[in-house]
Amino acid sequence: MQQGGGSDKEVTWEDQQNINKFGRLNNRLHELEDEIKIAKETNDNLEDASNELILTDEEVVRFQIGEVFAHVPRDEVETRIEQMKEVTSKNMETLDEEKESVVAQMAKLKKILYGKFGDSINLEEN
Amino acid sequence: MASSSSTAAATATTTERRGIPGAQFVEDVEIYLNQSGLDVNSALSFLQERLQQYKVVEMKLLAQQRDLQAKIPDIEKCLDVIATLQAKKGTGEPLIADFEVSEGIYSQARIEDAESVCLWLGANVMLEYSCEEASDLLQKNLDNAKASLEVLVADLLFLRDQVTITQVTIARVYNWDVHQKRRMREAVTAEKDS
Repeated sequence: MQQGGGSDKEVTWEDQQNINKFGRLNNRLHELEDEIKIAKETNDNLEDASNELILTDEEVVRFQIGEVFAHVPRDEVETRIEQMKEVTSKNMETLDEEKESVVAQMAKLKKILYGKFGDSINLEEN
Repeated sequence: MASSSSTAAATATTTERRGIPGAQFVEDVEIYLNQSGLDVNSALSFLQERLQQYKVVEMKLLAQQRDLQAKIPDIEKCLDVIATLQAKKGTGEPLIADFEVSEGIYSQARIEDAESVCLWLGANVMLEYSCEEASDLLQKNLDNAKASLEVLVADLLFLRDQVTITQVTIARVYNWDVHQKRRMREAVTAEKDS
């Protein structure tokens, strides 16, 4: 985000606050995109794990707790994985919602700032 | 999230946060230059220096944030293990686990009725705690870490706002200078023509 050259428009404190807010939202957007990527990977891993679990015929599964692999009966592992999947998908929902809200706020601010400053301001991703 | 920078007053109020100086918002570039008694180039280099200082602090805070963000899942994993041990205690069955002896080599361990656990406190020190005490200690550490992270994130938000304000001020001072020079050139040509 840069400002262009030679403009006559005065920058008020309100404008500055809008610019600050846009900057903060932009940073948050990038953070959210990273977090969503990680949540999606975790979700995929849990899916793979539960698929493997269905295929295996072993009674005891080595389930990672902390740094060790505990011997856990298959049913308990199934329950645990289901719980973990629920947590992850709720997390992803929250992240997606926040991302939508951030994108909407950024669009609104863009309108306001481009409206006042036009070419003198650049709010696009480099 | 409330902005931790300037107050409701519309004029330039500089606050600081935990040692980070606030960036002064400039209402009018000409007045700012007159008040500070700086010429354009000095003002620009002062602002650039400020920007550099902010960047240095930002790097430091980001590093601290990364550390905390790595520490929190570790503490949560430890709490998970203790919870599992406590759950097993009631059943009378031993917990059988595969653990890493060396990289890539695992061995099997049988943990029976864990009354206590040892916590690694750092600096080559390990202390034995009862499961409950260990759980409490870890929970406290987790809460502290999360609280520190919150404060850190707020610091970073404040810092980034100051960076943005400074960048905008630099652009405005520069633009004002360009404008001035253009006006003076036009004044000179107007005189020559008259």
